[in-house]
Amino acid sequence: MNFSIDTYNMESGVPVIKLTGEVDVYTAPQLKQQMIGMLEAGANQILIDLTEVEYFDSTALGVLIGGLKRMRERDGNLSLICPNPRIRRVFEITGLDKIFDIYNSADEAKIAIQLVP
Amino acid sequence: MEAQSEPAVVELRIPCRPEYVGVARLALLGVASRMKFSYDQVEDVRLAVGEACTTSVEWATKNNRADTDIVVRSSIADTKLTVDIIDSSGERREVSDDQDNENEPESLGALLITLLVDEVTVTPLNGGTHVKMVKYAG
Repeated sequence: MNFSIDTYNMESGVPVIKLTGEVDVYTAPQLKQQMIGMLEAGANQILIDLTEVEYFDSTALGVLIGGLKRMRERDGNLSLICPNPRIRRVFEITGLDKIFDIYNSADEAKIAIQLVP
Repeated sequence: MEAQSEPAVVELRIPCRPEYVGVARLALLGVASRMKFSYDQVEDVRLAVGEACTTSVEWATKNNRADTDIVVRSSIADTKLTVDIIDSSGERREVSDDQDNENEPESLGALLITLLVDEVTVTPLNGGTHVKMVKYAG
């Protein structure tokens, strides 16, 4: 299956989960595990980079919604980088683009997140 | 090509497990690509079929039926694609548990399907479910 998951920190220390390929019922559990790990490590900001994602289904959306909910409980946030219109459309038709902060690039996300106190 | 020809049928049988949902998506990508669909419509079909198979897999897991198969049958007419997704995943009976967001993906999946195809019907079978979806080209 065409899928990989990488993590790194931005200069500001905000952890980033970078996904590549198809995120679906088979691969989304890996995203969930990675996110839970970050939550347990005390992160209150997480950025998910979907730039290289070429398929994103409802299971993956469910994982993100669960993550966002947990982040908001601790006054944090989970934001997305998603320049791909095809993937963005999945968020738009489900109305989730109004729930998540979605940025077009890592640079845009970096600026926006640094502005948040 | 003569008008009103009989629909061509492509049938695929996959194990009702997460790792095979991508195979059904890939097959439908091939089927839809050779019809008069736009690029976005092909994507719609791929996503809708993926969601339907995912729902089958989720029910099979809940009902301990992961050893069953899903049949994905595409009937290809001139401007109409009909996809029948038939599983043996057991009854889709929601047990009322309040496990916060765990039911979310499935309802999102159903929402996506209705938004992505032109017609969808869900019929319970004996020990499974038949989802029929239709997408018109053009």
